[in-house]
Amino acid sequence: MASVSATFVSFGCSFNQTKCITAGKNCTISLGMRNHTLTAVRFPRLRVSCLAKPETVTKVMEIVKKQLALNDDVPLKPESKFSELGADSLDTVEIVMNMEEEFGITVEEDNSQNITTVQEAAELIDKLVAAKPEQPASESEQKSEATA
Amino acid sequence: MLRLFRIRRDMLGSAVSRRLSTTRSPLPPTPLPHRREVHLWYIKPEEINDSSSQLKHYMDLLSPSEKRDVSSLSGERLQKNAILARTLTRTTLSRYCDGRVDPGSIKFRKGLYGKPEIMWQDGDNIIKPPLQFNLSHTSSLIACAVALETPIGIDVEEKKRQTVKSVLAVARRYFTVSEVEYLAAIPYPDIQRKEFIQLWTLKEAYVKAIGRGFSGAPFKNFTIVMGSDKRAPKMHIEADSDCEGLADNCQFALMELNSSHVVAVCMERDQEISDDEKNSLRLKVWRTIPLIEDELVSGTETVNYICGLS
Repeated sequence: MASVSATFVSFGCSFNQTKCITAGKNCTISLGMRNHTLTAVRFPRLRVSCLAKPETVTKVMEIVKKQLALNDDVPLKPESKFSELGADSLDTVEIVMNMEEEFGITVEEDNSQNITTVQEAAELIDKLVAAKPEQPASESEQKSEATA
Repeated sequence: MLRLFRIRRDMLGSAVSRRLSTTRSPLPPTPLPHRREVHLWYIKPEEINDSSSQLKHYMDLLSPSEKRDVSSLSGERLQKNAILARTLTRTTLSRYCDGRVDPGSIKFRKGLYGKPEIMWQDGDNIIKPPLQFNLSHTSSLIACAVALETPIGIDVEEKKRQTVKSVLAVARRYFTVSEVEYLAAIPYPDIQRKEFIQLWTLKEAYVKAIGRGFSGAPFKNFTIVMGSDKRAPKMHIEADSDCEGLADNCQFALMELNSSHVVAVCMERDQEISDDEKNSLRLKVWRTIPLIEDELVSGTETVNYICGLS
């Protein structure tokens, strides 16, 4: 049985019945395992945060690395804050512009305060991409996936 | 022009360890800025040795949370600049307290949109001047501007700063239509880049002065029009602006430092003075290595006024 804390990932796979779910005081829940597939059930009172797709995170890291001309020895992680990597305001807007171009989205300025880390940028991108109207022909392999 | 004490650069290393190992030198008190006067103190990180004991002593001035923030940064250069930025802020503010406030004891809080402010503590014998301040840094220069009572914003950029995208592309995305037209009409790329950097720093200085920052006051909501002939840039709020509560009564000034950096300053106008001339900002600029060396550089060729300054 695997235990996870309150903010956990909900997988896109279909929900199977779990053998044993408990929600403790500290909102730890246990997940049932079936055929080595981890299944999850969302409790309404738990706050669910959807992690960004790994490929989005990777892409954002590439954009940031290029914009800030980071060497390979600079530790770049999803939690890395742009300001901690030495980005000033002009760097940040260029990073946002690159993200907009790469993913075909528009980031409103008041959202820019919510994207202080690589992770947050990737999450916002995924949200905006999912909210886009259907494109006739898309280069990326976006499936019509329900958002969290 | 008062030149305060200087130590020759080659003596700096040994001088530092001798002086700081005994008592910390008090900062020479500085008289408060006058009305419409801005005091600017700046550090050039290259003037401070990376692994000197000086940096460790500066680190001692920082609060526990500031120290944690520094430690979380990736790499020595970023950590050094963060230490210097906090040191500059604390030492600068304590200069205006008549020698009675230790730089390490100053407490800060954040305004509604996150702008740092002084939080004077109750205590005897502490004077609490109504100081307004703002900090800006690039990797090669860190600056702290101080004024009395009136909120102030400052932004610094390297003059020759390159953008990955073209300046017009950035302008189209973030600036107003009239600002884009102004830039697009400039035929020479070097001058166009220079004007872009100036506009950028002026807009940044404005959103920092009003305490909103970039995300609280998107650049498309207001236009800055460059003055001609050393006159101050002017600002107006766009008709279709969806941003409420933007101040439209700000005074701007622009200068070059060391021929390497552009500095923009923004301060709310004094409503009681209708005369534009008298609303012009006056400026005093010091280069500093905190607790070691201060040099008044305004009035020298180090500071080149572009516009908006009397």
